[in-house]
Amino acid sequence: MNATVTPSVAKQPVSLIVNNMPETVHVTPRTTLAEILRDHLDLTGTHLGCEQGVCGACTVMVDGRPERACLTFAVSCEGAAVETVEGFKGDDLMDRLRAAFHRNHALQCGFCTPGMLATARDLVERLDTADEVRIRNELSGNLCRCTGYVGIVNSIMQVIEERRACGLPCTGTPRLDRAPPTGFAPFDADIFKQPSAPAVSSGTMTVENGWSVVKREVAINHSSDTVWAHFSDLDAVAACLPGAKLAQHDDSTFEGHISVAFGPIAAKFEGEGTYKTDDSTRIGTVSGRGKDRGGQSAVEGELSYTVRRAQGNPDASVVDVGFRFRIQGILGQFNRPELVNGFVDYILGEFVANCDSVLSGGELRYNKGISAFTMIRVIIAGKLRALFQRS
Amino acid sequence: MKPVPFSHNIADTLQLASKALNTDGSKIIAGGQSIGPMLNLRLVRPTTLIGVTRLEELQKIHIIGDTLSIGAAVTHARIEDGIDGVDLPPMMRHVARSIAYRAVRNKGTLGGSLAHADPAADWVTTMTALDAQLVIRDARGKSRREPMASFMRGAYRTGLQQDECITAVEMPVAMGQALWGYDKICRKVGEFADAIGAIVIHPDLKYARVVVGATEDAPLLLPDMAREIARTATAPSLGDIDSTLATYLPGASRVKRQLLKTALSRAIAKVIPS
Repeated sequence: MNATVTPSVAKQPVSLIVNNMPETVHVTPRTTLAEILRDHLDLTGTHLGCEQGVCGACTVMVDGRPERACLTFAVSCEGAAVETVEGFKGDDLMDRLRAAFHRNHALQCGFCTPGMLATARDLVERLDTADEVRIRNELSGNLCRCTGYVGIVNSIMQVIEERRACGLPCTGTPRLDRAPPTGFAPFDADIFKQPSAPAVSSGTMTVENGWSVVKREVAINHSSDTVWAHFSDLDAVAACLPGAKLAQHDDSTFEGHISVAFGPIAAKFEGEGTYKTDDSTRIGTVSGRGKDRGGQSAVEGELSYTVRRAQGNPDASVVDVGFRFRIQGILGQFNRPELVNGFVDYILGEFVANCDSVLSGGELRYNKGISAFTMIRVIIAGKLRALFQRS
Repeated sequence: MKPVPFSHNIADTLQLASKALNTDGSKIIAGGQSIGPMLNLRLVRPTTLIGVTRLEELQKIHIIGDTLSIGAAVTHARIEDGIDGVDLPPMMRHVARSIAYRAVRNKGTLGGSLAHADPAADWVTTMTALDAQLVIRDARGKSRREPMASFMRGAYRTGLQQDECITAVEMPVAMGQALWGYDKICRKVGEFADAIGAIVIHPDLKYARVVVGATEDAPLLLPDMAREIARTATAPSLGDIDSTLATYLPGASRVKRQLLKTALSRAIAKVIPS
């Protein structure tokens, strides 16, 4: 049976005023304002570049203020008054800006111009004086790839001067004046201690030739014999890894999936790989690759672990974990290694807690995937920190 | 890229919004300036979005007794402009001005930024430095308060439960008179910060707090440094800052530590003359 589209995801009417004309369009909730303008109202002067709020090409006026049309969804446009580059008819400031852009040769390819004009109009209206540094800072949200900023900045400065000459006031608030530091008389401060200080990281995270390399050292409160027996059993390892599910495996290959959720981001990687363990050195390696269908991302990686006895305590062991991975596709675009670091710490923390629990004859703490709730639970319990204290 | 199909409800009341959150795959959207890019990149694939910015109670800025309360859906631009007849701490107005770009500030909200809990965001560090309390309400309409200093648990991890929503951010009115310094280092104006340093000192309140942000984790408090700065009224040396950071962030790269050291020393210099 085919999946049915629920009514709320179906098209719905959205009424808004575009360039002083009332319009009603029928669109799905995920439709952005930029698409409403371009695809439904044929106002193709609003350009789409990055579609993530960085390039500024889609900037239009919504209720008199510049906004990103690529980050505004249909439902939130209901009742809005939108002004695009095709509009601004009889708008004195925009007429002056257009003339100034023309005069100063402030456009080359023209792709950024609609967004530039929206931002420029806002600046001309808001800024009291034509301060070049301020104008350049404010223009950082509109990318121009033809090095056309000189003409654009000059245009904005000239129109600000024209506005002042006409005696029109600016609408923005004046800049906050900051007095030079004065110091203070010494005093004894009541110091707040952070209740759940971030876990002390016990390893490193580096990027080598496009691969992220994470190294960690974790302590487990069981003898190295027990830990190795556990770590050389793939079923047992997978059961302790949050979100992991083995579909099938033989002596050296496996298939399965792992679900991860990181804040609002969720992905389910399905894939296969190989593994081997060496009883003499107590080193295990797992390598695999997987695809996230929904998000169209791919991950490949290699995990190695070495189990050794903890110094001075035969009932405890230390596991050196090395993890080398590469994410491609959409998730890769969001590659901020530092964040991955914190995330890997969290997964390892859960994994080690599970291993500890199972080895003590207890049950798995959690293995349905990772949710914000478990994260909170673990961290409130202060377990993460205890797990990562350096041995 | 286009987001996956989702339904999008504009909530009439906060209670309805929280109730809707109990459905699997639902997510609050405020200004949508952080979640929007993630939706467009399909990093986030919700079934339902619940818009909360039109709720009037989330829009208010007011003073009750000696507490300043700022609605969660107040935009960065409104804080930057400081137009509401209420004196906002100058530190907040300064920070608001440097968040992303004006078009983003016109929609992005204070509460949204805190709930999103990106380590590189300005408000998570600023609100930790200013000792803000978050007012959080659940689906049954019950309110609770949580200090910002413990609310963020890690990158994108907070103390919010599935059916909870931040309604306001509170801080002592007296924070408006505090001495403060804030510095962030970005590759380009408006980009995600590479390092943030913040300091707030209020001798009358016996208050001193030093925070570094844009680490891999929640904003990091440096309590010993804060106590020492208050006790001596002199700035720590670059070497002291570096060794403190090395203790708290042993896994940080040298580049990161250098950036954090620079940002923090610049912030401190805005409070203590050299």
